[in-house]
Amino acid sequence: MSRRAVITGVGHTAFGRSTDRSVSELETEAALSAVEDAGVSPSEVDGLLSDPGAMQGVLDGITPHYLRLGAQLGLDPDYTGSEILGGAGSVAVVERAVLAIEAGLCTTCLCIYADSTTSVKSAYRYGRGDDAVYGFFGAVGLHALAARRHMHLYGTKPEQLGEVAIAARAHAARTPHAQKRRPIEMQEYLSSDPIVEPLRKLDCCLVSNGAAAVLVTTEERARDLRRPAVQILGHAQAHSLCTQAAPEHFERLPAARCGPRALGQAGLGPRDVDVALLYDCFTIVVLLQLEDYGFCKRGEAGPFVEGGRIAPGGELPVNPSGGLLAEGYGGGMLHVVEAVRQLRGEAGERQIPEASVALVSGHGLGMNTHATLVLGR
Amino acid sequence: MSDDTTPPLPNPDVLTQPFWEACRERRLQVSACEECNHLFLPPGPCCPRCWSTRQTPRVVSGEGRVYSFALYRRTYHPAIPEPYVVALIELDEGPRLISNVVGCAPEEVRVDMRVRVRFEDVDGFTLPRFEPLTMTGGAS
Ligand SMILES: [Zn+2]
Repeated sequence: MSRRAVITGVGHTAFGRSTDRSVSELETEAALSAVEDAGVSPSEVDGLLSDPGAMQGVLDGITPHYLRLGAQLGLDPDYTGSEILGGAGSVAVVERAVLAIEAGLCTTCLCIYADSTTSVKSAYRYGRGDDAVYGFFGAVGLHALAARRHMHLYGTKPEQLGEVAIAARAHAARTPHAQKRRPIEMQEYLSSDPIVEPLRKLDCCLVSNGAAAVLVTTEERARDLRRPAVQILGHAQAHSLCTQAAPEHFERLPAARCGPRALGQAGLGPRDVDVALLYDCFTIVVLLQLEDYGFCKRGEAGPFVEGGRIAPGGELPVNPSGGLLAEGYGGGMLHVVEAVRQLRGEAGERQIPEASVALVSGHGLGMNTHATLVLGR
Repeated sequence: MSDDTTPPLPNPDVLTQPFWEACRERRLQVSACEECNHLFLPPGPCCPRCWSTRQTPRVVSGEGRVYSFALYRRTYHPAIPEPYVVALIELDEGPRLISNVVGCAPEEVRVDMRVRVRFEDVDGFTLPRFEPLTMTGGAS
């Protein structure tokens, strides 16, 4: 008997810089809101998967995140675990929930992302081994290498990175819960402080405290729940673990491998995608994904984003809730949440008319990990 | 161990110790696989192409090009003040390594710029940094 998994509930806390709430409180609020949204009882949750953000980390001493979280929620699940895939982790845990449910390991699986600046550990530094000797710190430095390479190969201009930042804020202006709702214009983008050139402050994602949750269950269980089930049309992962030794590491993301596989499972191509939820830790990552997922040809993402093509009302709206650049740093789980809301037609002022196919991506670490979900009505 | 005045230093292990010892003697060396002749960095227990564990160190020219670079305008560590350039250097022999471009203004660094290793002593270690091969831009 084949079981199909579907998404039946989503929820999240407010996202912002406020530090008055512990990460445990945030996780609990997100879990409750996803369960309430689905209309299931907490006692039905028999799977727990977590993507702890980089600041709290997957281990607290010897205690894995899922163990603390499960105890806090009073769960003795049939299946559990935490992913360590950086920014690909949230999309990957939702995929893992689908696999676990379809394999019969559990029936109703809660997927949680949570992080808080109150839980920063000393390990939260991107100096990787001996590369730190040269001052190679921070995710921004890594992505600056990719941005500079793209500019060199294809003549990509700062204004084209700026289009991504401006579109994110324009989307967020229509998102009541977004952290940065004030729209920006090109002049403000161009005068934004350089961090690691060619990337400016406005090329970088926000820092947030918050938690988001997605509830995955069987199609059968979802049938009499109050929300329309969101279908899993395709899912795949691909990774590039050799970093600088990989020939194209700073030119192309593993999305170029897992994107076509995930879309292919659905019998779809990039033209069939109504809304793209692309992991956007830095503006350059959006440009690379537009190429790697086949929304445009390689090298043409700069011109592609001009003229508001990915902005509200554009041909391919990207991150209609504002994404990591403007909605809040939700680790990728907020991207899944927004895809579900768009497919359920619940996105209010930012609703994309008749959205029926959503592509969600997660991208992590030193541009090493990637995960793709294709969702549908 | 790491305070504000000490820059991050290499942390050699049994695999990387020979690399740092060669640097101290002003030689840049990579690992050469004895099975498939692949040249690679960083040093590791096996060839990342064929998994052979038979390898020998090979001294390289120390010349290459800037594959890409990042110009830091923020100081992340007090001992490494901005501005500075972190670059991914592609050696003429093939392997790539993260390093710094020095010996010119940060604004003068370009992708594909020809560079040559310049060894610099820092707190008991010798770091392989890179400088422009010619300041006039002529081929060499
Ligand atoms: Zn080999």
